[in-house]
Amino acid sequence: MNYRRTKAIARKEMLHILRDPRSLTAALMQPLVMLLIFGWALSLDVDRIPTFVYDMSQTPESRELIRGFRGSRYFAIQEEVHAYRPIDQAIDKRACLLAVVIPEDFAKNIGLKQPTRVQLLLDGSDSNTAAIAQGYAEAVVAAYSQQLQVPIQTQSGNIPATVNADVRVWYNPDLLSSNFIVPGLVVVIVMIIAANLGSLTVAREWENGTMEQLLSTPARPAELALGKLSAYFVVGAADMLIALIVGVFIFHVPLKGSVTLLLVSSSIFLFGALGLGIMVSAMFRSQLMAYQMGTLISFLPAFLLSGFIYSIGNMPRVIQIVSLFVPARYFMEVARGIFLKGLGVELLWFNLLLLIVYAGIVFYFAARKLRQKVA
Amino acid sequence: MKQRLRRIIRKEFIQALRDPRMRSMLFLPPLIQLMIFGYAASLDVDNAKIAWMDQDHTPESRDLLSEFQGSGRFILAGFPNNERAMQTMMDRGQVDAVIRVLPGFARDVKRGRTTSVQVLLDGTNSNTASIVSGFAGQCIARYSNRSMQGQQKAKLVSATESAEGPVTMAAPQVASSTRVWFNPDLRSRNYFIPGVVVNIITLVTLSLTAMAIVREKEIGTMEQLMVTPIRPSELIIGKTLPFVVVGVWDMLLVMAAALLVFHVPFRGNFWLLFGTTLLFLLTTLGAGLFISTVSKTQQQAMMATSLFFQPFFMLSGFTFPIRNMPQLAQWLTWLNPVRYFMEIVRGVFLQGAGIQALWPQMVALAIFGVTILWLSVQRFHKQLE
Amino acid sequence: MLANSQSGPAVHIDKLVKKFGDFVAVDNVSIDVSQGEIFGFLGPNGAGKSTTIRILCGLLPPTSGRATVGGFDVETRPEDVKHNIGYMSQKFSLYDDLTVEENIEFFGGVYGVSDAKLPARRDYVLEMAGLEDKRRAMTRTLSGGWKQRLALGCAILHQPPILFLDEPTSGVDPIARRGFWRLIYDLSDAGHTVFVTTHYMDEAEYCHRVALMYGGRVIALGSPEELKKSLGEGNLLNLDSSDVRGSLSVLEGKPEILEAAVFGAGLHLKVRDPGIAIPRIYEYLKQAGIHVLTLDSITPSMEDVFVSLIEQEEKAAA
Repeated sequence: MNYRRTKAIARKEMLHILRDPRSLTAALMQPLVMLLIFGWALSLDVDRIPTFVYDMSQTPESRELIRGFRGSRYFAIQEEVHAYRPIDQAIDKRACLLAVVIPEDFAKNIGLKQPTRVQLLLDGSDSNTAAIAQGYAEAVVAAYSQQLQVPIQTQSGNIPATVNADVRVWYNPDLLSSNFIVPGLVVVIVMIIAANLGSLTVAREWENGTMEQLLSTPARPAELALGKLSAYFVVGAADMLIALIVGVFIFHVPLKGSVTLLLVSSSIFLFGALGLGIMVSAMFRSQLMAYQMGTLISFLPAFLLSGFIYSIGNMPRVIQIVSLFVPARYFMEVARGIFLKGLGVELLWFNLLLLIVYAGIVFYFAARKLRQKVA
Repeated sequence: MKQRLRRIIRKEFIQALRDPRMRSMLFLPPLIQLMIFGYAASLDVDNAKIAWMDQDHTPESRDLLSEFQGSGRFILAGFPNNERAMQTMMDRGQVDAVIRVLPGFARDVKRGRTTSVQVLLDGTNSNTASIVSGFAGQCIARYSNRSMQGQQKAKLVSATESAEGPVTMAAPQVASSTRVWFNPDLRSRNYFIPGVVVNIITLVTLSLTAMAIVREKEIGTMEQLMVTPIRPSELIIGKTLPFVVVGVWDMLLVMAAALLVFHVPFRGNFWLLFGTTLLFLLTTLGAGLFISTVSKTQQQAMMATSLFFQPFFMLSGFTFPIRNMPQLAQWLTWLNPVRYFMEIVRGVFLQGAGIQALWPQMVALAIFGVTILWLSVQRFHKQLE
Repeated sequence: MLANSQSGPAVHIDKLVKKFGDFVAVDNVSIDVSQGEIFGFLGPNGAGKSTTIRILCGLLPPTSGRATVGGFDVETRPEDVKHNIGYMSQKFSLYDDLTVEENIEFFGGVYGVSDAKLPARRDYVLEMAGLEDKRRAMTRTLSGGWKQRLALGCAILHQPPILFLDEPTSGVDPIARRGFWRLIYDLSDAGHTVFVTTHYMDEAEYCHRVALMYGGRVIALGSPEELKKSLGEGNLLNLDSSDVRGSLSVLEGKPEILEAAVFGAGLHLKVRDPGIAIPRIYEYLKQAGIHVLTLDSITPSMEDVFVSLIEQEEKAAA
């Protein structure tokens, strides 16, 4: 490979990038926008669940149960109603996620030491929130139930032995979803840039007619690929750094592991992602199609199948196997591992190896694809 | 004028459909997206992996284990013997949690002493962690109740032998009975897939419109068109109409797949959905048109689409409930047309909602659509001069 | 370096065929171009000129047949071919968002001009193309004529022995065209072989030798003089009359007239024997009531040659 030719191509690409300030600005703003959205606005943390209470019992016992809900940060009691109808309407209007219905004979049954039931009505549309809400609500009821048994037990001279769960959270003690999301964002941002910028570059030259000119020169396909890749690498690296800096200093995501390792592995991943973009670009002579394909192959799998938000373990077997071929998945583990778990090369070497191999393979195919004829 | 219009529309269709690859591109990505999204996108935690560290080795601790196993929520991924093994499993991300029974567990239970079981959660994925924590807590609580009642019975047996007379065995128990509306199985798929329909329609119509118009600018054929007697309105309609068709077609395709492959319930009125889709397309096409007026090259159009699509889409309540957002963000979503369409689509699919329930969203969509389209058309006109 | 710098043709094409599906774009073409020649490849659009050039540049694989450029086979040694050629594509293919200077530096780098030599070459090209005071101008702001000169400049940065110029003058005004051909002459004098395609018939006169392509085949090959002679000396007449159409219908098919074709405002007539034909023509037209303004012998132009050859082809095919 000829250094001078590659350098000439890289320089040209850099000029293209700099001369298109709109695209460049959009590219550099991408991480900021995504961080803003994912780091600040979006959250899966469930609290302040809008709750309605329908207390048909109106006794000290039922008030006690309701206090259990009121005192919890997970529930926000909106209204106390006296019929089912308002609950229906509220759920339809999405104003109510959970309704607690206490039967008339609640206190009576407790007095008679007979089992009694509290009805929990959930809006299941948002199943995730609903499942979590269900868990919390049932826990409140169960806690109340246990509490009832304490005086009885003590009366009969027993000290009630309860078995409790001692929950400790590793790596992300406050269970902040931003800690979960932000490292993953670095992965997704890289893929977006690679998909967007990388996938158009060759197709554009075809559309403009300059590709033909390039092919008639001594420039080798690998030089072409490397030259283009180098220029976009700079942009991708800038984006990554922005994401890292904002993530660490503004969102206070802990960075427990080695920064060097993070930067090195990110670079490897970026290289592979750009290689994929360029390969896609070489497959199409039309920018429109290159863009569609780029999104399909680069961005979507990175977003959905890398474990960014949706855990891979929950997917059907077939999809899990597909995800094995998504490089973003491996880098996701690396990124989260370095950020939250402080992992080092000893545990991450396999992923890194895979990423290196992937980058090599993709680059090879990209160069091959560029060894094109005009028709 | 009709003549010219027809010609333009014809040209667009020919251009779009001539290339077989383009043809498949118009229809394949939506389906693939749906498949991947449908199967992959799930926040359900059906098979949480746990490691079991029993440092007690008693019938009681094994009893606790069977409680976990019987719950159907967990997969036992390993039985680490020591700290190091457990640490590695957690570091490697092989388990979502480690349940650790400390030595002396059975002794405490038998003696009636309150004791605890350690649940060590991998907090990396806070969502999963919350859910796993809940499940684990339930198992432990159930065990606790059982053991307490067992103790009760044991005490009662010995008590009835005493002179004090029968003591009622019954103890007050409050249980909860949960009913889930709309999505009884709490399958997040039912929640997501209507959202995927929105995603696909938005992305396709937005990006295709923007890029198709800018393409003409880039290639230079726009100038060519301007020299003909064509009027700007004809150009706009001609350019956007094919994408309305594509958008609707994709919607039908994705809907069919959603119903047939994923068995997402569809309880509402199809024509209502169809009508509101057209309403929504006003917005996306208008936005696509707008993007084409601020972009000189296809690359710029695409970067702009990407930059704007993301926030509008993610902040529409797709995966992340609007309810969970900071107050300011929630207010901002009032300005997001995608939010309204999302609510409509979900409402029609899952709740069988009709116009009575959805008319506010429809009005909002109409206002947004007309405004955006009007503004874009104005801008487009001005640029052509 | 050229494989065989002293001996052998610069470009050797042997029974070259290129098919696109059933369509035969290049039909059994065989040509040799000598070193230092200005070789013109003429013909209407779609005749196969661009396709041939692309094959010679290694951009398209031939269906059958061989071609060597600078002694290197285009199929087996395309890299060596590319080192020895400069190519100017039909669309001038420059980067619009780069300045004149940046385009030059880019192509210089990509053609392998060393860092030491590049500044001198760059300045030479800028001077040759007359773009010195435009060196920092954005390429997209240049008019067609300037772009063309810049494209040529970029193609010769590495001093290639052989130049392929595909329709270098299309869409450029006549004065710019003239200037451009002066540049080509200079290059030829300096020893470059220049292989040009064009559909401007008058440009054929500027070439040392010319091949006429039609329907993928070479229907004539030789120097412009030779080709014109093939039409026969003094056998072409130009008729200016009061009714061109009328004259055409009157004279066509008459025994003395071999071919008649409208040419500008007049009629070109190919005759067997001008001595006999001229008086006859006056008679025919007088009978038809058409007034003759001028009728005289002219030297055939390349267009005449070409039109004549094509008509012969079509007659033979029919």
